[in-house]
Amino acid sequence: MTDHNAPAAAGQFEFLYNGRPVRSAVGQTLAGALHAQDEHILSRSFKYHRPRGLFCCSGRCPNCLCTVDGEPNVRICITPAAPGMKVESQNAWPSPKFDLLAVLDRLQAFMPVGFYYKRMYKPRRAWPIWERVIRQIAGLGRIDRHNSGGRYEKLNLFADVAVIGGGWAGLHAALAAADAGADVVLIDEQPELGGHLRHDPDLAQDAWAGMLRQATDHAGVRVLTSSSAFGCYEENLLGIRQGNRLIRLRANQVIVTTGGWERPLVFENNDRPGVLLASAVQRLMHLEHCRFAGAAVVVTDNAQGYRAARQLVAAGTSVAAIVDVCPGPPEFAADIPVFRGHTVVAVRGSRHVAGVEIAPLAGGPSQSIACRWLVQAVGFTPASALLYQNGCQLTYDPACDHAVVVQYARGMHSAGAVNGTHDPHAAALEGRLAGLAAAATVRPHDVSLAALLADARRRLDDWQARRATCAAQYVAESPAKKKFVCLCEDVTEQDLCDAVAEGYANIETLKRYSTVCMGPCQGKMCQAAAIALCARETGRTIADTGVTTARPPEQPVPLGLLAGRAVRLALVRRTPIHDWHERAGAQLTDAGDWKRPRVYSSVEQEYDAVRCHAGLIDASTLGKFDFRGRGAAEFFEFMYPNRFANLSVGRVRYGVLCDEAGILLDDGTISRLQDDQFFLTTTTGNAAAIDSWFRWWLAARPGLDVRMTNVSGSYAAMNLAGPRSREILQPLADIDLANAAFPYLAAARCIVAGVPAVVLRLGFVGECSYEIHVPAQFGLAVWEAVLEAGHHAGIQPFGVEAQRLLRLEKKHLLPGIDTDALSNPLEAGLPFVVRLEKPDFIGRQALERAARRGPRQMLVGFRMPDGFAPEPSSLVIHDGRPCGRVTSSGYSPAAGAAVGLAWVPAAIARNGDTIQIQVDGRLLAAVVHDAPFYDPAGDKLRS
Amino acid sequence: MSPEPMWRTHELKDSYDVVVIGGGVHGLATAYYLARLGITDVAVLEAKYVGFGGSGRNTAIVRSNYRTPEGIAFYDLSVKLYEQLAAELEFNVMFSQHGHLTLAHNERGVSGLVERANMNQWLEVDSRVIFPEEIQELVPELNLFGHCRFPILAALYHPPGGIIRHDAVVWAYARGVDRRGGQVHQQTEVTGIEVRGGAVEAVVTNRGRVKTRVVVNATAGYASTISRMAGVPLPIETHPLQACVTEPLKPFLNAVIVSSTLHVYVSQTDRGELVLGAEMDDYASYSLRGTLGFLEGAALHLLELFPCLANVHVLRQWAGLCDMTPDYSPIMGAAPELRGLYMTVGWGTYGFKAGPASGFLMAELIATGKTPPRLEPFALTRFAADRLVGEKAAASVSH
Repeated sequence: MTDHNAPAAAGQFEFLYNGRPVRSAVGQTLAGALHAQDEHILSRSFKYHRPRGLFCCSGRCPNCLCTVDGEPNVRICITPAAPGMKVESQNAWPSPKFDLLAVLDRLQAFMPVGFYYKRMYKPRRAWPIWERVIRQIAGLGRIDRHNSGGRYEKLNLFADVAVIGGGWAGLHAALAAADAGADVVLIDEQPELGGHLRHDPDLAQDAWAGMLRQATDHAGVRVLTSSSAFGCYEENLLGIRQGNRLIRLRANQVIVTTGGWERPLVFENNDRPGVLLASAVQRLMHLEHCRFAGAAVVVTDNAQGYRAARQLVAAGTSVAAIVDVCPGPPEFAADIPVFRGHTVVAVRGSRHVAGVEIAPLAGGPSQSIACRWLVQAVGFTPASALLYQNGCQLTYDPACDHAVVVQYARGMHSAGAVNGTHDPHAAALEGRLAGLAAAATVRPHDVSLAALLADARRRLDDWQARRATCAAQYVAESPAKKKFVCLCEDVTEQDLCDAVAEGYANIETLKRYSTVCMGPCQGKMCQAAAIALCARETGRTIADTGVTTARPPEQPVPLGLLAGRAVRLALVRRTPIHDWHERAGAQLTDAGDWKRPRVYSSVEQEYDAVRCHAGLIDASTLGKFDFRGRGAAEFFEFMYPNRFANLSVGRVRYGVLCDEAGILLDDGTISRLQDDQFFLTTTTGNAAAIDSWFRWWLAARPGLDVRMTNVSGSYAAMNLAGPRSREILQPLADIDLANAAFPYLAAARCIVAGVPAVVLRLGFVGECSYEIHVPAQFGLAVWEAVLEAGHHAGIQPFGVEAQRLLRLEKKHLLPGIDTDALSNPLEAGLPFVVRLEKPDFIGRQALERAARRGPRQMLVGFRMPDGFAPEPSSLVIHDGRPCGRVTSSGYSPAAGAAVGLAWVPAAIARNGDTIQIQVDGRLLAAVVHDAPFYDPAGDKLRS
Repeated sequence: MSPEPMWRTHELKDSYDVVVIGGGVHGLATAYYLARLGITDVAVLEAKYVGFGGSGRNTAIVRSNYRTPEGIAFYDLSVKLYEQLAAELEFNVMFSQHGHLTLAHNERGVSGLVERANMNQWLEVDSRVIFPEEIQELVPELNLFGHCRFPILAALYHPPGGIIRHDAVVWAYARGVDRRGGQVHQQTEVTGIEVRGGAVEAVVTNRGRVKTRVVVNATAGYASTISRMAGVPLPIETHPLQACVTEPLKPFLNAVIVSSTLHVYVSQTDRGELVLGAEMDDYASYSLRGTLGFLEGAALHLLELFPCLANVHVLRQWAGLCDMTPDYSPIMGAAPELRGLYMTVGWGTYGFKAGPASGFLMAELIATGKTPPRLEPFALTRFAADRLVGEKAAASVSH
């Protein structure tokens, strides 16, 4: 530890780094604090376990990935330090300074690109052993099995204009748009606005502070700092991470002013700790109050390198040389020797930079310069990922050596360094122009805006005509092996050359084979060099080589953030009568998102109550739809295979929905309450799917007078069933329930227990029963009133378990349980719902064909002579092959035997046929039973 | 020592015995097995680069625990071919058979698993239903006993299932085709198919016209477009399917985990990345763009299974195109009314795992002129003949 590196700010605290306390100051990042403590090896690389230290200081490169408080792969260079934090190095054992697997670095010759594809597969049993070894050493961070993350939240925002990047161009864009009347959101990933002006003080213009104040004070600008826009999705939906908050911002216009990141050079040992990007050095000096003890060499091709050198000198570092890639005679800049037309070819030093080798680009002997730091300022790669993501077209422009937008996607704009415009004056002009153009789209008829726009465009054109550039050569020519193109995956220049020679010449194939651009930085550090190398090796131009696809997220995003709080608050739907069920001690079961009573007392008791007295079941979970309009009957004629045009008012009819292939989707009831008003029910599980199914077909009939409302949640429903149900309900209802007045399949709107209701006379469980639908808020009251009224008649609530048995005795099927994606109603025992004489309906063609050819398989009832019920999904075996399955089964008191439903080949589906069911490896015989097991004539439900 | 090229580049000849359209696993495997049967005058035409489409976008799960006898027999052949592939093609395709677990969270789900287990066991495919205690031994990180909305009740455990390095499979087959005398033409886009007198005559490409009597449509995403060039409509609807991958973590998850109820599946590669996906998008589209909604949904559901992954970072997301048939089973065989047109299409969300079997059987069909029994159930004519193959229920999220 050195005293002169002590942070300047007051308010110090400690965090733990690999178990050791480290001093830090408020406002400092973890990486800044570690640098100040001379901690320079922060991690080990993915493949060769080479020492790695701070490099980009902008959260882009993989070098500083650590596990922080149990969160793996945290970029500590952008993570503010906090008291008591636990920071642990990754991919190093026992420590990043001394790592046993560093031996892999010496084995590079044995691990060329794609070596794992060429070895370890012979003999076949060798691979699982090798794989076990690989899985021991692969990966970076480790998950903590007991850490389920922090608290997350989501926020939805809307804006006329979103500006991504609060640098010089972004500030101008935001203010121009807001001044023109647009509602602007300005997003920046740093804790403060300003972009690179924050850490490059020589650039900061006098106007900067004023601009900042204007932006933060402007009523039309909402500023989101520490917010990273990681995705720009279709229709300008931005995904933004702000700490533990996911912001979904829908913007009419998006202005991308994301700037760029510095491009690293490729030379021998270019990954040594001590090699840094100039912007990293500037961030550490100006934002973190860090110093760089010892000598530094700056390699550059632009003014930023010279500024960085001056700033280093001012901070006490001795700059041994400036290596300028641009040609020219040697000279001195403020006493620093400048080597023009030179580049860095190698770094010396095994654990940290000890010196650099530089050589003329034109060829000639190299020379060594001793130093501790190598600072690179050789230009920027535009951060254009968001532009690519949202469909803008970019083309490589050799003049500026990066991709430029040639065609914007709708509502997209860009300005500043992301366009390659580094000059502050020009960036400001571009930003202003983009802001005005975006605002003009939102406020298209503003004349004064058009004039401002034209003026800005003219001034920008003038400036662009005058600019000039000098591009660096990114890959130093030398035969050295350890020239890393990709820091994440340890991919060297040699690796890429070999891969191209092996035939992986397409840039995407090259990526997948060599893994370049596939690591944590997703190509931010390596893509430009990889493309340049691919172009060089294939003899193509960089433009023809293309780029790899920019895929979201632009910055890695935690799963917890994406999931939001909902993991702990998963949707549970409860019926209006739910609390009563809980008080009654019901055992609950999941039915989709709903909770339903499975059983209250015992299935036997509940069964007996329904068969002998009366039972009441909560049916609120059914899907319920209100259809109105003169075209409704016609619509149902098309949707359902059976007739509905002839359904009388006051009647309810069973219906099944089929798809185009005649496959049974769902069943339910359709009641005609008035001539142009229908009430539909669907099964619980399919309610949502049927909703979209109806809407899908309605969308194709814009002229039809049909209005559909999903009222599933608005109504509570209950089914009162049993021989005594009429005498229980009659005193509560204001209509005559006598069989003659309100027979089986009657439907009516009436008053039940003082509440407006729809009552349907149905028979799912095989008894006289009434399905009562009432507004949800009265559900509990009506439920209690019915139970009260039935108390003396022996009424009992019953759950789905008893209901299933009751309906099984009637052979009433449950869609999805007794049917699958091959079941049509003809074969499922419902031929009466298919009316092929109708002109057209969904599935007609398929059902007609099925009717012509006759059934292949049938859903049949069966009874087991020996009383044992095979569990659902047991196979039906015929001719020594599985050719069917049991779908429902149980012991039927009515039949006095185990009974069930099963799909069997048509050849053995006649009444009395014997079928073989596989149970625990044995075959048991069962007998096909045509009629319902209970009340075959249906007298009970009609009584 | 200079590296040996995987495949050569050729001038496109003006005629071939067989032209295979599509340089993914199905097309390349078909060409490879054709060459193995001695038919080497074969060109594989790929519009982009080998593995651009579904073969490079799938999540590389291989399994044979299907639901129908037809499906099980077919995929079982594929698993067996995959097991031999590295040795046969001398390229390590990294087939990791660490097992495949399909989770059930409700009674209906358990019942579906029991049915598949019964059917699998009947056909001697290794799978069985296991319960939380045993699941925990296989995957200790899984939330089996903690608070969760839909507790895990059981799983279908399929030990031979696992993941494979999909790109390696594509490259290995491409090299196999090249070594046996076939030609792989990348950047070669088919723009038309010429038909005369009820037979295929030539294909037209951006590099010129190629005469041939046999065309194999082995494309995905645009299978129906290609087929229409020959006047053969296909009952196919194309939907995007999305996936994403996390940053590399020290490997902890060996088995593939699938939950249809939660619409999510996940596996961990040998590099340490978690690969996760969901159901395909429910709207038809050719879009290859990922959505934010997908990421949110997949993350939510994954964290229900693995709460300890909340801090893990998603690195990138992508989409592929799935050609869906009405019964969620592929279409393989000869076109019914056009001589010389063959197809292995409609591979939905389950194509990659089928590549070797599809190529193997298609090659046999083309070489012998007879449809192998295992291909018969998948003929295009099944839709008109109302003989669907019922994998819809078992497919859903279990790609």
